[in-house]
Amino acid sequence: MNFLIGVGAWLVGPAHWQGGDGIPVRVMEHLSMSVAAWAVALCLALPLGLFLGHTGRGGGVAINVANIARAIPSLAVLSLSLPLAFGLGLGLGFWPTVIALVPLGIPPILINTYTAIRSVDKDIVEAARGMGMDGWQVLRQAEVPTGAPVILTGLRTAAVTIVATATLGAIVASGGLGRYLVDGLARQDETRLFVGALLVAILAMLTEGAFAWLGKAVVSPGLQQAGRHDQEPWMMWTG
Amino acid sequence: MALTLGRGDRKGATVTFEHASKYYGASPGPSPAVDDLSLQVEPGEVCVLVGPSGCGKTTSLKMVNRLVEPSSGRVLIDGTDVAAVDAVSLRRSVGYVIQQVGLFPHQTVAENVGTVPKLLGWPRARINARIDELMDLVGLDPDQMRNRYPAQLSGGERQRVGLARAMAAEPPVMLMDEPFAAVDPLVRERLQDELLRIQRQLGTTVLFVTHDINEALKMGTRVAVMEQGGHLAQYSPPAEILARPATEYVARFVGADRALKSLALRTLGQMDLEARRGSAEIQDQSISLGADQTVRDALSALLAAGRAEGPVFGSDGRFLGFFTLDALVKSFVREPESSGNST
Repeated sequence: MNFLIGVGAWLVGPAHWQGGDGIPVRVMEHLSMSVAAWAVALCLALPLGLFLGHTGRGGGVAINVANIARAIPSLAVLSLSLPLAFGLGLGLGFWPTVIALVPLGIPPILINTYTAIRSVDKDIVEAARGMGMDGWQVLRQAEVPTGAPVILTGLRTAAVTIVATATLGAIVASGGLGRYLVDGLARQDETRLFVGALLVAILAMLTEGAFAWLGKAVVSPGLQQAGRHDQEPWMMWTG
Repeated sequence: MALTLGRGDRKGATVTFEHASKYYGASPGPSPAVDDLSLQVEPGEVCVLVGPSGCGKTTSLKMVNRLVEPSSGRVLIDGTDVAAVDAVSLRRSVGYVIQQVGLFPHQTVAENVGTVPKLLGWPRARINARIDELMDLVGLDPDQMRNRYPAQLSGGERQRVGLARAMAAEPPVMLMDEPFAAVDPLVRERLQDELLRIQRQLGTTVLFVTHDINEALKMGTRVAVMEQGGHLAQYSPPAEILARPATEYVARFVGADRALKSLALRTLGQMDLEARRGSAEIQDQSISLGADQTVRDALSALLAAGRAEGPVFGSDGRFLGFFTLDALVKSFVREPESSGNST
């Protein structure tokens, strides 16, 4: 009980809401690293998933490679990304963390995008081609909008995983909410440790919520009524 | 090369298959999908390709809009080899309806119907006007249905939307691949009747694939009976297929009851009626037939009433004569000579 009161007191303490180690700054650092890593993963995996799904070639190979990449512990990737970031003159902290997070984001985006495009009803694709859509129009007007719920699930899973894992960056001197965890451990300050964990969990849940809202805004009502949300391969994979 | 045939003048096109074959795998393999198909569909006709599954009827259909390219031979629309036309612009000028409809689930009925006009770059106002016109044509109330999604429609309504979508840019040729196979029999019959009405109204040339011989006989101006191996067994008007099947295979395919089936192709108005008795006697009859009834329905009515004859009246109520079983039998005796060359 005293511990929870301590956590409450820590959270409302004005000193913890200002300065370089304040909650707003740490949240912003955490978000900027996460968004950067997610955006890089998106730029790599989404076009590849769309291409493989549309052409139907080589998808299995790409997915296996992506899954193997995901099996490498993030901590190992982090230590590997340090010399890389140094070599590129990117310094400590932000960029090594981003580089370590990108491989986490690629598999869910790639697998879900590929699966979403592949599993679009073949009659829809045939009707689209039969009405005189070229390959690009079939992808843009039929395959992507129809597969949107599954693609969005992949984007969401990637984002949530990245937000939760970005705490590791504190080990290589980045900012973000991981600071509270790492510093809390070092100083044996359990309150600080707990606050860090709590904030990361809240941020991850807000990310989840933001994608749920995005899904409602972006996915056609015609698909939401059809109840196609049940096909979520990534969720089955992680399940 | 752009295909500009027929646009605006609402006339059907001529579709010609010239020795068109399709082989899969080793060419020419032992079992072709389509084997040396030659036939011509005249403007405004409904050509029905009918046969068991695997007879190459769908493959033949897809040669017309180049979803399948023939291994040898060619397909012509109004004398132009479709292989010489850009596939994308060809498909925008040929209507295409499939059994599973393939409506875009993320688009409303109106968006689905407007797909091809949008691809063709019509102005917004013209597309909207066309959508309303088409929905009326296929019997969907635009005000009620325009903003619905396919998931909210019944099977029959979806087929209507698919039909409207295929006709949106006034194609001179429509390809229909078992369009009514997935709807229940009552709805199917209604959709068949409406398709025939629309087709006659617009004069569109239709190629229609089915495995159902009854549907083929009802819909077709001419029926192409195909058999395993992609071979065309007979290409004739329905009455001739029934009266004179070209081969043993065709006779078996149309069924042992082909004489009965032919009754559905004729109306009482086309029969010889006996005008032998006075009108006083007509009042006694407990049965009355209409000139626009099919012979099949009339015969059924006679049998149900336990009679061998019944009076026939025109649509204006005028007495035309008696329909008798004797005359029906005689019409079959004369049939081979009289209907052979009719179209």
